[in-house]
Order: sequence, then structure tokens, then C-alpha cells
Amino acid sequence: MMSIRPDEIQGLKQAEGFLSLRGLTRRYGNFNAVDDLNLDVAKGELVAFLGPSGCGKTTSLRMIAGLAPSTSGHIVVDGHDITGVPPYRRDMGLVFQSYALFPHMDVARNIAFGLEMRKVGKAEAQERVREAIALVRLSGKEQHRPAQLSGGQQQRVALARALVVRPSILLLDEPLSNLDAKLREEMRNEIRDIQKRLGITAIFVTHDQMEALTICDKVAVMNHGRLEQLGTPLDIYEHPSTAFVAGFVGRINRLAGTASGGLAEVAGVQVAAPGFDGRVEVMVRPHRVSLSAYAPPAGDDRYALAGTVARATFAGDILEYEVEAGGVLMKSEAATRGGEGVLAPGTPVILSWHRRDTFVYAAS
Amino acid sequence: MNTLALPAREARGMSPAAVAMWLLLPIALVNAVGFLWPVVNLLRMSLNESEATGALIDTVSLATWRNVLTDSFTLELIGNSIGVSLFITLLTLVASYPIAIYLHRSSGLWRTVLLVLVIAPLLTSAVVRTYGWIAILSNQGLVANLLAAFGLAPPRLMFNLTGVVIGLTEILMPYMILALLSGFGRLDPRYEEAALTLGATPLKTFWRVVLPLTAPGMALGCLLCFVLAISSFVTPKLLGGGRVFLLATEIYDQAIVTLNWPVAATLSMIVLVLFGAALALYTRALRRIA
Amino acid sequence: MTTSVKLAAAILALGLLTQGVRAQSSITVMGYSGLFQERYTKAVVEPFMRAHPDIQVTYFPLPSSAAMLGNLRAQKAAPQADVVIMDVSVSKAGTDEKLFDKIDESNAPNVRDLYPAARIPDVAGVGVTFDNLVMLYNAEAVKEPPASWMAMADKANEGKVVIPGIPDIQGVSLVIILNKANGGTDYLKDVSKGIAAMTEIAPNVQTWEPKPEVYVPIVTGQAVLGAGWNARAQVNNQTSGGKLKAAIPQEGTVFQINTINLVANGPGGEAAKTFVNYALSPEAQKAFTESMFYAPTNTKAQISPEALDRTAVKFMDKVIPVDWIALAKVRESIGEQWRRRVLPASR
Ligand SMILES: Nc1ncnc2c1ncn2[C@@H]1O[C@H](COP(=O)(O)OP(=O)(O)OP(=O)(O)O)[C@@H](O)[C@H]1O
Ligand SMILES: [Mg+2]
Repeated sequence: MMSIRPDEIQGLKQAEGFLSLRGLTRRYGNFNAVDDLNLDVAKGELVAFLGPSGCGKTTSLRMIAGLAPSTSGHIVVDGHDITGVPPYRRDMGLVFQSYALFPHMDVARNIAFGLEMRKVGKAEAQERVREAIALVRLSGKEQHRPAQLSGGQQQRVALARALVVRPSILLLDEPLSNLDAKLREEMRNEIRDIQKRLGITAIFVTHDQMEALTICDKVAVMNHGRLEQLGTPLDIYEHPSTAFVAGFVGRINRLAGTASGGLAEVAGVQVAAPGFDGRVEVMVRPHRVSLSAYAPPAGDDRYALAGTVARATFAGDILEYEVEAGGVLMKSEAATRGGEGVLAPGTPVILSWHRRDTFVYAAS
Repeated sequence: MNTLALPAREARGMSPAAVAMWLLLPIALVNAVGFLWPVVNLLRMSLNESEATGALIDTVSLATWRNVLTDSFTLELIGNSIGVSLFITLLTLVASYPIAIYLHRSSGLWRTVLLVLVIAPLLTSAVVRTYGWIAILSNQGLVANLLAAFGLAPPRLMFNLTGVVIGLTEILMPYMILALLSGFGRLDPRYEEAALTLGATPLKTFWRVVLPLTAPGMALGCLLCFVLAISSFVTPKLLGGGRVFLLATEIYDQAIVTLNWPVAATLSMIVLVLFGAALALYTRALRRIA
Repeated sequence: MTTSVKLAAAILALGLLTQGVRAQSSITVMGYSGLFQERYTKAVVEPFMRAHPDIQVTYFPLPSSAAMLGNLRAQKAAPQADVVIMDVSVSKAGTDEKLFDKIDESNAPNVRDLYPAARIPDVAGVGVTFDNLVMLYNAEAVKEPPASWMAMADKANEGKVVIPGIPDIQGVSLVIILNKANGGTDYLKDVSKGIAAMTEIAPNVQTWEPKPEVYVPIVTGQAVLGAGWNARAQVNNQTSGGKLKAAIPQEGTVFQINTINLVANGPGGEAAKTFVNYALSPEAQKAFTESMFYAPTNTKAQISPEALDRTAVKFMDKVIPVDWIALAKVRESIGEQWRRRVLPASR
């Protein structure tokens, strides 16, 4: 179990990262947009902020950048409390969700702005701007005004503008949301490369789990302004510490049940649930549920359940079944294989899954 | 009625240019009657001459123009008017800008309240507001008493250029603020935030981002206020104490006191030319900003 | 433009109003607005209509003689007014523009009894009121009537003097008075001595454009000394309960003349002449003098002693004769000297 629970972090006050948030809170009236956020990011690490819309990702980023005051809490960078430091002295780059390109400057001057403010020499600045433009595949568009660019192009200018100054901390607020799938993949690998090469510490806000899991060193899952879990992509996926994380990252079957004496009864199956008592939620990912005509051999560490096919969905790469079993609907999916047909609805089947793929949480 | 219905009904059969022509026709007519015709009349009047008694001589000659343009007093008037109006415009801009920025950034009920406060003076005539300034600036007025309370001898604040500048600046501020606000469309706090995160100090942010983005509003406000300042005569009359000579007050004197209508008309045409120059300058400035 | 539109509207409205009235003819008298209108209507227009039930008189008020001339110019082709009361200089301009018919004994017999000063050569109208420049003072601040116009130059009165400056004719009048007092002979040739005296007063002047009228700042105590017209000064003296007083200093005064004029081709015809004759009659002159203290222009007017005390009639020896018509020709040069010498001294 590598997952780190938020409550454990609070105990680790001394073990600070390069960037540490301590009890960071932002309150609007009675509403906590960001609620007691504690987080440590090591130098050179890329951390994803993942969470549903409105969970406080942008607000957190704005507080880190110094653009919005925090109601309480501290921001520590490299051992210095920078909570009250104005944004222009924080040496952070921020790519805005809405780009915020200067409309009265062309692409080149937008990108050069940060270098100018840092008094970088003209020749060097020119060279770095050129590189940045090439990096985001916008060569030839130097003289264009933001209004003459597509949304995706603007987003790339915003990215180049933040990257070109090589900030010690880079904050990216959904920097790729407007790009097509191919460009998106390219750009995210670019970001990853530059970030690693320059040793920039970065926070990457995204809705896209794939993005979060593939390029980030760690993923912070947020909900209702709170940090649900911080961990490596593997941790988050394989050992979600809360029902929310399990449900939010990847797809999942949710089964309601009741636990007593270390066992939980769901859909007619006894599931190991040590330490639980009362109503529980049992979860298992669809692709870890296999479907067969026979019950698994006894003693094989698997749970099994008999049911009938309710619906089959063929999606090319995968084949998904919804199976009616023990009074609930359960999903099972598997990669398609050649020479295999699709089971008709009503076909009796046995569902089974491995014990270690089973997550149990107290029902909320 | 028919002309109004026409573009809608026949829009499919008409070219967009034709539709635009039809839609522009009413305002073109209003302008012709309300603006062009009086200007033509003025031009005609400026070609008349006037006897010393004020009696009008009906003729067509350039004598009045020649007299006016070779009179050193006229040139002094033009220089004065341009200088004073520019100064007032600048002062109005400086005084209005922070208010406009604040208004632009405020929201909700507070913004409405502030907007009403800004617009309210426009609902009162400039004459009334000027009398208000007389009460404030007179040597028994608010400012003088305040200064006297600190043992300072109050300078002459009224019945001179100072009074005219103070009064006109305040009177023109609502126009400037509204013009600025209307031109602040491109100003979004996120641009400033972007500049700040890129390492620009608030001052640098103002110069490099806020100022250029608000330039169109400033140009519009300056044009408006310059034109209003150079053509205002009530406030200079009331607060100038007969010591401030501007084109507008001279036109008033020539038309109403001295009865020299041809000279008044000629001076009016000169003001019109100045308007044209201001407009040309504005257009050029706007093109450079954009 | 707008005034003529307003006039047209007013006349239209009047036409509608007067339709039901029994009067056979109606005339329009154009004159000053405000106090003048109020008092003139009571003292002259209403008694006239009582005496002539067949003539309906409408008073059309305008703020200045120039505005009246402007209106007359605009309606030259089809005049709406019949009689105009205006300053003599403006009346001269109107005469030159052929806007007026000549008034004399033939169409207004009372002209015969007018003072010579009321018959002005080359002006179609005749004098209907005389007024004169007076020194105004705030009675609370100044206990004794000032003996000299030069009291306005006293250091003690710094910032307390209000004078309607040139091009207003009150400023012109003051220059002429001071010119003579300082040894000037012909004001038509040279007013430099008057201008020099004015430069001594200038530093004390609070404003050369007292608004709305010169009397107001004196009444309120905003200013202490000033120059203004006698008739209005007297009325202001009454209405202010004596706060404003008027004096004729030793250097003397000049007359201002309002003329009554007959508009050429006015719609009222004979009725207009009847009105003009009445306005010049001893009883009308007496009534208006006693109401607003303009000096009468008719020698036969029997003015009450109290009213007479408030006019310049007793001080005729102090009146410096001014040829307003000739003066108009040099007005520009006087204005020039004023701008170049007097105003710089008052900054
Ligand atoms: N100025 C404000 N006043 C009141 N509430 C606010 C304000 N700004 C943000 N909020 C609230 O704070 C919460 C967090 O907003 P935030 O912008 O941080 O969300 P987010 O996680 O970035 O969402 P998204 O993914 O949609 O961008 C939201 O519920 C939002 O409504
Ligand atoms: Mg957001």
C-alpha cells in the first residue's frame, strides 16, 4: 500500500517538498472553494490536479500563483513561506484556462513579454522566443494577433509564453483542453520533456484522466475543495483510498451491501471486508470482471456470481456486457479477439473477479 | 412606415448595400436638416459683412474672413482655445481614468450605484453645476474657508482661467468616464494577472498592458471632451470673470453683444474646422492603436 | 435657429389664444424679459388695453436687444412683431437694415413733447426710457455713498468690485466717464485717459462678467462696489430691503436710451402706432417711471417726488452727453485698448 492519505500528510509537516501547501483554504462566504489543502511537490516533479468541474482546481492554482488571496493556510517554496509575496516575485509560470493572451501584441511579443520583464538580453530573448514558437508548432505565425488564431493555437501560444521564461514552478490550468487528440498527445509529451529537462516543478490541472495518469509523476484527486488522495498514477488506479477516487478515476462497478464479521454480502456473494460493519460499497473495475460459461475452480482466489446477459455493446477494441446477477446490473469488459461471437441477451453466464481487485468502502 | 417595412420585406431581393442605404436614409435626412443646413447657413452668413453699428450688409465677399484671419486677436483666441481645451481634456482624462477603471472592475449593485453617481450630474444643466462651483470657489466659499481655517491665504480660484479649468473639468468628467468605460471592452483582469505572473510589476503591467488596452477609450474620451471644451461657453462666461478669452465666448459676444453676425459665423466655421482636425487626429490615433 | 422656432410656436399659440377675443386688432410688443416685462405690462400695456378694448397687446419677451434684432432679422420677410423696445445702438443697426418705420409727430403726436435727447438722428425709433450708470454699493459694508468712481480703486476693496466689462456698454460708459474726469476731451477720438483710470480699478475687480446681473453679488455681499443701471438698481434697492444702494459720484454719469420702434410692415398696422403714441404719453411715462424708475423721455410727465428722487432727473448737470451712434464706430478700438491694457491689469 503506497497510497498516502491526506491525514498522514498533515503528520509530515517537516518532510516538505519543493512546493508545499499547508492547510490552504479559500472561502467564499460560507462555501469552501478550497478546503484545508495539504500537499508536497518534490523538485522537478509533475503533479496532476484531477477532479470534477468546480472542485477548486483553478482556485488552488490562483492561490499558488499569488493571484488570489487565501483565506488561511500557507504556501512554502524551497523552505520560504511565500504566502504574502506578490505574483511578480514568485517566478512561477501560469497557463490560464482561458489563455489570457495580450490582444494588443502579436504572438512573438506575447511570448517575449516575460523575457522582457526579466531583462533577458535581446539576442537571447529572440532565440528563446523562436525556439518556443517552434516547440508549440507555430512557426510562421509570429506576427499574428491572438484574434487571428484558432483556440488551439492560442492555447499553444499561452503555453509557449509560460514555458519560455523557464519558471521554477509551472502551473498549467487545462493547457491542452482545446487541442485535437493527436496534437494533444504530442504537446503533453513536449510539456513532459521540457519539464524534465529543465527540472521545472509543475502542477498540471486536467479533466483528462489519461493525461494525468500517463505523464504525471503524481496525481492529486480533489473533490469539493478537498484533497481526496495523492499518489502515483498506479496507486491512484490500483489503490484508490476513497470511494470517490475509485469512482472518478477509471470506470467501475458499484455494488451496495452490508458488512458484519469481516464479510460483506453483495448481490448474493460474500466479499472479504475486514474492519467494516454496516452498509458498504463494493467496487470492481469492469475489465477485471471476467465472464465465462463455467464457475471458476474452487480455491482460486476469485469471487463468482451467476447471471444472464442483459446487454452487449461491441466497441471495436472492447466488448462490454451488462449482466443481470443477484438483483444488480454488473459490467464486464474485455478486449475483443478474433473468431469470437457476441453472446445474446438472456444467455446464462458466470461472472468472476479476483479478490485483490475488489475495493470495499463504508457507504456514505 | 413603408420605408421601414421595405428592407425587411425585400431583403432577399436587395443587396446588403442597398439595405444599408435604406436603413441609413432617415438619419441622413435628419443630419442634413439638423446639421448640414445650419452649417451652410453659417457659411453663407460668414460671407456677409457688418457695419460698425452692427447692421448687417447682405453681400458675398471674403472681407470678414480676411479681417478675422489677419487679426492677431483671432489668432490669439484660436491658440488660447486649443491650449486651454487640450489642458482641460488632459486634466479630465487624468481625473476620470482611475474612476473609470474602478467602475469597470466593480460589479453588481455597487456598480449600478456608482454609475448612477457618475451619470447624475448629466441630468443637471451645466449652468446649475457652474453656479455650484461659484458657491464652492468664491472667496467666501468652501475652499477659501477651508484654506483660511489652516491659516492659508486662498488664491483666486474663480473668475479667471483656474476657475474655468476646474469647472469645465468637473463638468466634462461624466462624458470622459462614459467614453472610457465604453472603450474598456478589451480590458480583462486576466490580462493583468497574466502580466503579473510573467514578472511584470503592477506599474509595468499598467504601462504595458492596461494603458494600451484602454487607449481606444482614452482617444474617444479625449476627442469628445476636447470638442465639448472648445465649444463650451456657459462655464467660461460664468467662471471666467471676463478674463478668459476663448473662441466660444467670443462667438457669443460677437453674436449677442456686438451684433456682428458675420464675424460670429466666421469664428464658428473656424471652430468647425478645429473639430474636423480633432476628428482626423482621432482617426489617425485609432488606426495606430489598433 | 431655435429662437425663431420658439417664436413661431409662440405666435402660433397666441394666434389660437386670441381668436376668441373680441378685439378687432392685435399687436405684438417685443421687449426685455424679466423685471422689465413684469413692470411694463402692469404700468403701460394693461392700462393701454383698458383704454383701447379693441386692441389686444401681446408682450413677447427676449433677454437682450441683440436677441430682438436677431428675431427681427429672421422674420424680415413676414414680420410677426409690431413694436420693439430696445437699446438705441441696436435700434440704429435695425434702422440701417430697414427693419423699422420712422416714428415722428405724424404717426405719434406725443413725439412733439419728447426731450431732444430722445430724438436720435438716423434712428427710426425714439427714446422711450432714459437710464443712467450708477455706482452700486452694499449698504452694510459701505456706510457713506461713495463720492468718486475711483473708490473702486481703493486697496481696501480688492476683489470686491464687480463691473460688466466691455463689450457691455456699462463698461464703455465707465470708460467715457473716467476719460472726461481725467481731462479727456473727445471720447470719439481718444479714451486713453479713461482706460488709464480703469487700469487702476482693474486689480480690484472680482469679475467683469457678473452673473446673472451685476446687482446680485452686491446684494448678497459677495461684492461691495459695482457699476450698473439706475432703474434696476432702484428696484433691487427696494426688493433687497436697502442692502444695495446706488449713487451718482462726482465724475458724473451717462444716459442709456431705450428706444421704441415701429416694425416695418408689422401685422398690427394702425394699432401699433396707437400703442407707440400711448407709450410716449405723459401718463404712460409717469406710470412706468414710478414703477421702475427709468427717467421719462416726455417733458410733460408729472412724476411723483419720491419716484423722481430715484431717477437721474435731478442730476442732469452730472450727465455727460454720449452719442451712442457715433460711439458704435469706435467701439472696436475701445474694446481693443480694454483687452490690451485693462484686462492684463486685473489678472
Ligand atoms: N469569485 C467567486 N465567488 C464565489 N464562488 C466562487 C468564485 N470563484 C470560484 N468560486 C467557486 O469556487 C469553486 C471552485 O472553482 P474553480 O474555478 O476553482 O473550479 P475548477 O476546479 O477550476 O473547475 P473547472 O474544472 O470547471 O475549471 C466553484 O464552485 C466556484 O463556483
Ligand atoms: Mg478551472
